[in-house]
Amino acid sequence: MHAHAHTQIWETVTSSFASFIHGVRPEHLSEVVRHRSKRMILDSIGVGLVGSTTRVFNIALRYCQLYASNAVSSVYGRKGLKLSPTLAAFTNGIAAHSMDFDDTWHPATHPSGAVLPALLAASQMLPPSSKPDGLDFLLAFNVGIEVQGRLMRFSTEAHNIPKRFHPPSVVGTMGSAAATAKLLSLNETQCAHALAIAASLAGAPMANAATQAKPLHIGNATRLGLEAALLAARGMEASPLILDDIPGCSGFSAFYGEYQPKPLPLPANSHEFLLEKQDVAFKRFPAHLGMHWIVDAAMSARNLLINYSGSFSPSLIRAILLRIPVSKYINRPFPESEHQARHSFQFNACTALLDGEVGLNSFTDGCIHRRELMELLAKVLVEHPEDNLANFDKMYGEVALVLENGDVLTGRCDTFYGHWRKPLSRESLLKKFRSNASHVLPEDKVNSIIMTVENLENLPDSSQLASSLRFFPQKD
Amino acid sequence: FFPQTVTENFANVIHGLNASHLTDLVIQRSKRMILDTLGVGLLGTSTEVFHKVIQYSKIYHSDASSTVWGHSDFRLPPLYAAFVNGVAVHSMDFDDTWHPATHPSGAVLPALLALSEVLPQKQKFSGLDLLLAFNVGIEVQGRLMCFSNEASYVPKRFHPPSVVGTIGSAAATAKLLALDQFKCKAALAVAASYAGAPMANAATQTKPLHIGNAARHGLEATCLTSLGLQGNKQILDMESGLGAFYTDYNPRFLPTLQSYSWLLDQQDVAIKRFPAHLGTHWVADAASSLRKYLVESDDSVPFSRIKRIVVKVPDVRYVNRPFPNSEHEARHSFQFAACTALLDGSISIQSFSDQNISRPELKELLSKTKLEHPADNKPSFDNLYCEVNVTLQDGKVFSERCDTFYGHWRKPLSTEDLKKKFHSNASSVLSVEATEGIIETVDNLEKVEDCFVLSAFLKGTQSTKVLSKMCLP
Repeated sequence: MHAHAHTQIWETVTSSFASFIHGVRPEHLSEVVRHRSKRMILDSIGVGLVGSTTRVFNIALRYCQLYASNAVSSVYGRKGLKLSPTLAAFTNGIAAHSMDFDDTWHPATHPSGAVLPALLAASQMLPPSSKPDGLDFLLAFNVGIEVQGRLMRFSTEAHNIPKRFHPPSVVGTMGSAAATAKLLSLNETQCAHALAIAASLAGAPMANAATQAKPLHIGNATRLGLEAALLAARGMEASPLILDDIPGCSGFSAFYGEYQPKPLPLPANSHEFLLEKQDVAFKRFPAHLGMHWIVDAAMSARNLLINYSGSFSPSLIRAILLRIPVSKYINRPFPESEHQARHSFQFNACTALLDGEVGLNSFTDGCIHRRELMELLAKVLVEHPEDNLANFDKMYGEVALVLENGDVLTGRCDTFYGHWRKPLSRESLLKKFRSNASHVLPEDKVNSIIMTVENLENLPDSSQLASSLRFFPQKD
Repeated sequence: FFPQTVTENFANVIHGLNASHLTDLVIQRSKRMILDTLGVGLLGTSTEVFHKVIQYSKIYHSDASSTVWGHSDFRLPPLYAAFVNGVAVHSMDFDDTWHPATHPSGAVLPALLALSEVLPQKQKFSGLDLLLAFNVGIEVQGRLMCFSNEASYVPKRFHPPSVVGTIGSAAATAKLLALDQFKCKAALAVAASYAGAPMANAATQTKPLHIGNAARHGLEATCLTSLGLQGNKQILDMESGLGAFYTDYNPRFLPTLQSYSWLLDQQDVAIKRFPAHLGTHWVADAASSLRKYLVESDDSVPFSRIKRIVVKVPDVRYVNRPFPNSEHEARHSFQFAACTALLDGSISIQSFSDQNISRPELKELLSKTKLEHPADNKPSFDNLYCEVNVTLQDGKVFSERCDTFYGHWRKPLSTEDLKKKFHSNASSVLSVEATEGIIETVDNLEKVEDCFVLSAFLKGTQSTKVLSKMCLP
């Protein structure tokens, strides 16, 4: 038995993480953390369900079905289809990120999609006698989120919008390994090995963001983290110093330019989870987070124009000035695909100006190539004010409509609705969930998932959550 | 027609290369690589790490299936077959090494063989198809490593097979499937998102997974691509693409197909004589040479008469281990190599057994050993050397230096010795017939009509019926 009362000094950062993963208990979860993480779980399921209707999901599913054996884990929205746990995690992770509709944290990553699918899949692989309950599940989820947050604090480069490696592919894989290790109750040594094995499976370059391959980053993060934990459970060993800084032989530091690892505090009597101090942002429409500022600013400018001239008339506009931070992969004047459109300040601003909103349908081929939209896009100029930092905690968006007659109408957004400074209300979050989930599930199923997640701590068998995500057609 | 991007250029070349582009030298060298890789893989199926990944992969046992080398009792889905066989190849660090540094064959061959077994009935792959695809996979790896100066040196950040090996596997499998240019490009892009494992896991049990995963993930990228998945069309051109893995990155176009010149033509691989990091091969040769000055009439070395051992090598942290605790650490230890070679005269597979690692006489020698890093000893497999100095208690000093070990590309293994290594490895899990069968098949690979025979031998089938299916003219 460990004596929890005293603090210990850890020899290595890696072992401090292993101890945390192994030693943290449900009692360590505060009210705020429980509440926030359940919102994340609900939102993640919703975006995953709607994501199961996408083309990229379909490709991944057809691929995974080649290897369908040992099918015990559910796939979002697909009745009668089960896959092996890692492939179920893979497809569900892809679904979650398929439309860039999933949550975003600060420092920047998409935390939930990398963790939840692995846990859902794993919960279905354990024998009936050792199925984790809802509280275990919630704890494991939070371990996965917490580890990601802690890892991102090892480097100041992580505070800004990424340029080299896509963060979910780096910290997400580690978070998934940590969460799964927790759910499977691995011992401390195995927890450390799970992290180290996961590091060898981490890391995808930013260049694939804004392409169809981007969702695979989350799919693989959650899948490979699960795999790392499963390998560790079977005795696979790796570097015991993976998180520590070893000059001349990089571990996890390989993914960063500068790297200062810090040990996690031992849970002992109280552990403050990062989620307590720093909430996530939930998206209101399926596009890169940066778009949310510009859309709110554009809608504000649009309203000004409507008040000014009685209606929204594009012909009155000579130029559209966007004041945005510098970030190459979201600066696209004429996006050609839905993936590019979700990563284009210009596209999102103009869509918001034209339609008064941005939603799921804004990214269909038909909408992307509309003549009226192209005409507006041709009027866009981009500016990068020095004070507009490429950082989700500090950036702002400004849309200035320069009219033919010389007048300028400017809309600005410092904090969009859904950002952690202005979180979605419960109603708004449920509205988003219902809208998403109803694409593939009937109303009663949708309601039952909401109830299950809201009462997660009381669920006796958490694998029920996973099995509730399949579609039950009424005809059967 | 001038290609707009390096990525497109790579896709065009992968797509456009055909058998007539293969030179005799390239064919010869690549067949040696194939044989050696099969041998080390077969031997590797007896390792602990292999057993663990087998247990793991069996969870996903299904109908679609490929051969697990050395196992006729079960099969695995191609992805997992590529994975476990790749792990086997690198499990003992016994596989080939190239310059710039990577282990090229283990990332490519397992993926190709696994894939070749699950294609539709009508589609047969000849030995020449295999040889071509294999070389595409090797070539792409070599070309990618030329994009960065950092790649010429023994790695510090990312383990090269995990970076270029994954892309090489994607290229090779895309070639075997005859994907069009657009899909070749997409395969490269998707593969990039799987690439990259940190060096810290070298010298651990997880290192072999780097090759296993390179093979597997490259194959997966190709499969996803053939189902229509797309990625960044400029993946090789962008710093935020493959450039993410390097601090200096200058992508370059491939030579024109009109007269393609292969890197393997200009730069051969090194084949290892014992299962340990390449750097230890210089040490072993120097130490074994030096041993002759020390031995007594009964061929033993009076290790207590040794006062000090100095091993001069380049500064390579992950091979600097004064007291290795596991076989994985021992395979990555200059010190261990020097002392074992001094004691035994040579290093072999058995040198890394638990018993031998913990011998008291070895430990005694290890405690007398230290490394030095002369400024002129660069951490590059093309330039490094090793000097071993032994000082006896009576003050006498002996010194030997090795610039090029036997097996290095400057002094390649003879055909006999290559086959001998293969024999020794393969016979640990296969029958004599299968062992001979593989040697003959690879030797005549260009003429083999259906390379399924190779997989049949690898499985461990003892039936002589298989021999007659070899379809040689």
